Amino acid sequence: MTPVLQTFKLSKWYGNILGLSEVSLEVRPGVTGLLGPNGAGKSTLMKLLTGQLKPSLGRVRVSGQSVWNNPGLFRKIGYCPEHDSFYEDTTGRQFLWGLMRLHGFTAAESARRTEAALALVDLVEDKDRLIRGYSRGMRQRLKVAQALGHDPDILILDEPLSGLDPLGKRKIIGLIKNFRAGNKTVLVSSHVLPEVEALTRDIVLIHQGKILAAGDIHGIRDLIDAHPHVVALKCDRPRDLAARLVREPYVLKVQVGAEGLLTLETGNRDVFFGRLPSLIVELDLEVEEISSPDDNLQAVFDYLVGR
Amino acid sequence: MRAAGRVAVFFLGLGGRSKRTKAFFVLSLVPLLLAVLIRLRPVLSPSPRGFSSVFYYSNVVLPVYVQFLVLMIALFYGTAIVMEEVEGRTLSYLLARPLPRPSLILGKFAASAALGLLMMNVGLLASFLVLRFERAGDPAEWLTVLRDMAVLDLSLLCYLALFTFLGTFVKRAVFFGLLFCFGWENVVAYFPGLTQKLAIAHYVKSLIPQPPGQAFSFLQLRLEPSPPLLSVLVLAGLTAVFLAAALVVFSRKEYVSAD
Repeated sequence: MTPVLQTFKLSKWYGNILGLSEVSLEVRPGVTGLLGPNGAGKSTLMKLLTGQLKPSLGRVRVSGQSVWNNPGLFRKIGYCPEHDSFYEDTTGRQFLWGLMRLHGFTAAESARRTEAALALVDLVEDKDRLIRGYSRGMRQRLKVAQALGHDPDILILDEPLSGLDPLGKRKIIGLIKNFRAGNKTVLVSSHVLPEVEALTRDIVLIHQGKILAAGDIHGIRDLIDAHPHVVALKCDRPRDLAARLVREPYVLKVQVGAEGLLTLETGNRDVFFGRLPSLIVELDLEVEEISSPDDNLQAVFDYLVGR
Repeated sequence: MRAAGRVAVFFLGLGGRSKRTKAFFVLSLVPLLLAVLIRLRPVLSPSPRGFSSVFYYSNVVLPVYVQFLVLMIALFYGTAIVMEEVEGRTLSYLLARPLPRPSLILGKFAASAALGLLMMNVGLLASFLVLRFERAGDPAEWLTVLRDMAVLDLSLLCYLALFTFLGTFVKRAVFFGLLFCFGWENVVAYFPGLTQKLAIAHYVKSLIPQPPGQAFSFLQLRLEPSPPLLSVLVLAGLTAVFLAAALVVFSRKEYVSAD
C-alpha cells in the first residue's frame, strides 16, 4: 500500500527549542496511533502534517503533495487540534455549519452535514447551546465532529480522547474504527497507552522529538510490560492489602501512605490487574480509587530510551 | 474571491455576535448622544448666546469620528483579524479548510469593514439628523453628510488595512497601534510643511472642509491641506498597499500559539 502521509528527515525548531528531529515516517491506510508523553512532539508532527507549521528541515507529503499552502488538500483531510479552543459565542450547530460553508458546501448541504456530524458525536440535543456552556467532553466531541463533517479520506486527530468520560471515549473509539473502513487513513495521537491499544495495533512511539519505534503494538507492549508499572490504590485497610501483596511474585515494591493510599510497583501489570479483584473480595476491602500515575508513560519512555 | 466571500459571511455572523461589536456599537453612538445633548442644551440650560448646530456638527461630532472612533474601530478590528485567531487558537480550524490563505485575510477584512462602516455610518447619519433635521429637505445638506460618510469610510478602510497588516506580524499590535494613533497621527498631522503629509490623518482632514474658526479651531491650526483628489488617491493607494502586504505576510508566515 502506498503511504498516505510521509515525512522525510523532518525537523522543527521553535527558536532554540527542538520540537522534532529528523523524523522519517510513513503512514498507510488504516489507523495508526502516535504514542508519546506530553511534550514529545506529537502535536508538532500533526501541525506539520496539516500545514499549520512549516518544516525547518525535511519534507512533508500528504497523498504525495506538499501540504504547506496547499488548500486543495484539505478537501480530503480532517484535523482535530489538541487545544480546547472555539468561537465561544456560537452554538455547536452554528460552528459546524460555518465550517462546512467554508468547505464550499451549499447552505442546505452544510446543514445536512452539520446534523449528520452532530448525530455522530451525540450532540444533537445540545446543538443550539452556546459552546461556552459545553462541558469538556462535549467540546472534545465537537472538535471531532468538525474534523469528520466533510467526510475526509484522511483524519488527523490530536489527543481526541483527552477529557472524555468512559462512555464518550467508547463512542469516539467506535467512530474512529468505523471511519477506517473504506481504505481511509487515521493518525491519532495520545499519551495514554490503553487508549491507543483500543484503537489500533499499528503504533509509532515518539519521545523528545524523535521516533523511538514503529510497528505492531504487541512488540512495543512487550517492551513496555517489561518495565515496572506503578499503581496507586486507595482503600479502607491498605496495610492488610499491602501484607497480602508482598507475597505475590509480580509485586516488586509496596508502600503505604497516608489516608488509605497504597502505592505499588509491579513487574507484570496484566497479571496484577487480573488478580486484584479476587484480592479485594478475599480481604473484603472497600476500594475508593485505583489509578496509574500520569507520568508512568514518561517513565516507560525514559526506560526505553535508556536501554 | 468566492472563498473570501464565504469567509466574510462566516465572520460577519461571528462578528455580529461578538462582545467587541456590541461594545463598539455602543461607543459609536457616543456622538449621537452628544448630538442629543447639544439639541437639548437650550432647553436644559437656556443661555443668550450659543453656537449653531452646523458648528457642533463640524467641530464636535465629526472630529469625534475622525480623530477617535475611526481609529479605535480600525485598530481593534484590524489587529484582531489575525491575532485573535492566533491567541484564541482558532486559526487551525481555518487553515484546515480548502481556503487559500489570502482569502482568510480578505474575507475577515471585508467582514470587519462591513461592521465598522455600518457602525460609523449609522451613528453619523443619526447625529446629523438630530442636529440638522430642520434642514433635512435641503439636498445640499444630504450631499454634505454623504461626503462626510464617504471620507470616514475611506479613512476607516485605510486604517483597517494598516492595522490588519500590523496584526499579521507584530505580537503586541494593539499597543503599537495605540502609539501610532495617539502619538504619530495626532502629532505629525500638525507639523508644518511636508512633514504632516506623513500622517494618514492629514489626507483624511484634507477631505473635510475647514470648520468655522471658533472655539475648537486649534485642532485644525496647522493643517495645510492636500488637494482632494490627491488625498483620495493616497488613502485608496495606502489601503491597497497595506492590504496586499498583509496578504503576502500571512501567506508566508507560520503562526505558533503560546503552547
